[in-house]
Amino acid sequence: MRRAALAIGALALLGWPWAAPSYFVFLASLIVVNAIVAIGLNLLSGYTNQLSFGHAGFLAVGAYTAAIVATRWPGAPVVAPLVAAALVTAAVGLALGIPCLRLEGLYLAMATLAFGFVVVEAILNLDWLTRGNDGLRVPAARLGPWALAGDRERYYLVLLVGAVMVWAAVNLTRTRTGRALLAIRESEIAAQASGVHLARYRTLAFVISALYTGVAGGLFAFVVGFLSPDAFDVFLSVDFVAMIIVGGLGSVPGSVVGAAVLTVLHDSLAGFQNYRPLIFGAILIASMLFMPGGIASAFRFLKGDRV
Amino acid sequence: MTSAAVIHVVVSGLATGSIYALMAISLVIIYNATRTLNFAQGEMLMISTFVGWAVYQRLQLPLAVVMLVAIVAAALLAWAIERAIIRHAIAATHFDVLIITLGLSLMLRSAAGVAWTHDDFPFPSFFGDRPMAVGPVRLAPVSLGIIGASLALMAALWVLFTRTRLGRAMRAVAQNQRAARLMGISVERVYSASWVLAAVVGAIAGVLIAPVIFLSSKMGIVVINGFIAAVLGGFGSMPGAVVGGMLLGVIENLAPLYLPSSIKHSVPFILLIVILLIRPGGVVGRVARRKV
Repeated sequence: MRRAALAIGALALLGWPWAAPSYFVFLASLIVVNAIVAIGLNLLSGYTNQLSFGHAGFLAVGAYTAAIVATRWPGAPVVAPLVAAALVTAAVGLALGIPCLRLEGLYLAMATLAFGFVVVEAILNLDWLTRGNDGLRVPAARLGPWALAGDRERYYLVLLVGAVMVWAAVNLTRTRTGRALLAIRESEIAAQASGVHLARYRTLAFVISALYTGVAGGLFAFVVGFLSPDAFDVFLSVDFVAMIIVGGLGSVPGSVVGAAVLTVLHDSLAGFQNYRPLIFGAILIASMLFMPGGIASAFRFLKGDRV
Repeated sequence: MTSAAVIHVVVSGLATGSIYALMAISLVIIYNATRTLNFAQGEMLMISTFVGWAVYQRLQLPLAVVMLVAIVAAALLAWAIERAIIRHAIAATHFDVLIITLGLSLMLRSAAGVAWTHDDFPFPSFFGDRPMAVGPVRLAPVSLGIIGASLALMAALWVLFTRTRLGRAMRAVAQNQRAARLMGISVERVYSASWVLAAVVGAIAGVLIAPVIFLSSKMGIVVINGFIAAVLGGFGSMPGAVVGGMLLGVIENLAPLYLPSSIKHSVPFILLIVILLIRPGGVVGRVARRKV
C-alpha cells in the first residue's frame, strides 16, 4: 500500500513536465527548492527548538556561491557549484551556530533576523563579486556536454537533488543523531542527562540546516537564472517559517507539504500583492491557534494515532 | 569634524534614541507581563499613527487632539488583539505567541497598505523647523522636542509603575505570576493592561517620530531597533530599555562619521550580534539564571 503510493507519487513527479505547461514546471521546481529549505529549517526549529528568521540569508549565500562558481568556471559540471554552495553555506552556518549556542528563544530569533539583514547588506556592498543592486545573471547549469537550459531539464535536476535531500533527512531522523535532536526538542535537560552532548548537537543542527538551505540556494540560482539582493529579504525568511508552521514542526513530510501549499498560494495570490501578507498572516495565526502541529499532525490524527 | 557638529549629531541621535527607548519600553512591558515578544508592536504604532493622521486629514483638528485619537485607537486595537487572539494562546509557548504576533504584524502592515497605500506621507509636527542656536551649536527643535516629550512620558511611566496599584500589580506579575495571583491580582487584567499600555506608549512614539521619518506602512520596522535597544539594556529592565535606546540612537548616528558608509545600515544588527555574544544580559543587566 505504502509502496504503491510512493511509486504512483514518483511516477506523477517524473511525468509532470510532460503533462503540465512550462510555467507549472518552473513552479514545481520552486516548490522542490522551498521544500529543501523547509526541511533544513525544520531540522533546526522543529527538532532542536532553535527558531531562525534568517534562512533567506543562508539561501542567498548558497545562491550567490553557486552563481559565482558557475560563472567563473563555465565548463564545470553542475555538481561543482552545488557542492560549493553547500560547503560555503555550511561553513557560514557553523560560524553563526557556535556563537548562537549561547542564545535561545527570542534572542536566537532576533540574532538570526539580524544575520539575514547583514547578508543582504553584504551582497549590496561586495559589488565586485555579487554585482550589488544590478543583480547577477546565472549561466545555465551544465552536465558534461549538456546545458540544462530548459524548465524541464532544470526540473529533473532539482527533483533529483530534492529526492536525495528528502531521503537523507528521513534517514537522519531515524539515526542516533536524529533521536538526539528529538530528545533535545522534548527537553534539553533530560537530553543532557541521558548523555546527549547538547552543544555538539545544537551546532550540528545549525550546520545541517545551513547545508540544506545552501543546496536549495544553489538550485534556486539555476531555476530562477537571475539573482538580486532584494529577493532575499526578511519576508522570505518569514515565508520559510510559515512553511514549517503550516506543514508541521518536526516532520519531514510536513515540511514538503507546507512548502508546496505556501508556494502555490504565494503564486496564485500574485495578482493580489496587497492582500498576500494579510492572508499569510491569517494563515500563520490560524495554524498556531487551531492546528499547532500543522498539516502533518492533522494527517496523523486522521490515521488514528493520537499524538 | 568640529565639536559643535558632533554635538548636533549626538543630539539628533538622542532624539531617535528616545523613540527606540519608547519602543523598547513597549516591548518590555508586554514581555514582563506575558514573557512573550510582541513582533507586531511596530505595526501597532504605525496603524495608530495612521488613524491619527486620517482624522487630521478629514477634520483638521489640532495636533494634541490628533495624538489623543492615535492613543485611543492604539488602546482599542491592543485591547481587541489581546482579547481576541493572544488570550487564546495563553497556555502556548513563547515560540507560538511569537509566531502569532509575527502573523499579526504581516496582517496589520498589509491592512495599512490596503487602506492607505504603501506611500510616504508628511506628518505635521508639534515643533518648528527653524534650528535653534545654543552657543556655537545649532539644534533642531524637533530633536529637543522628541527628547523632552519622551523623557516626560518615561517619568509618567515611572510614577505609574512605582506609585499606583496597577503599576504595582504589573511589577508583581513580572516577578512571579503565581505569587501575584495568590495575592489576589487578576493576572488576566494585567495582561490586557500591559498590551494597552504598551500600545499607548507606541502611539505617542509614532506621533513624535512620524514628522521626521514620514508616515508609511513601513515604519513598523522600528520594532527591530526597539528590540535591539531592549537587549542592549538587558531585556526586561525598564531603565535598561531607556539607556539601551539612547545608546543605540547615538551609536547609529555617530557610526557613519567614523566608519565606511557601506556598513552604515548594518550597525544596529552587528551591535545586536556582538552584544548577544559578549554580554547577553545587556550593558547594565545581569544574566538571568535558568531554572529546571
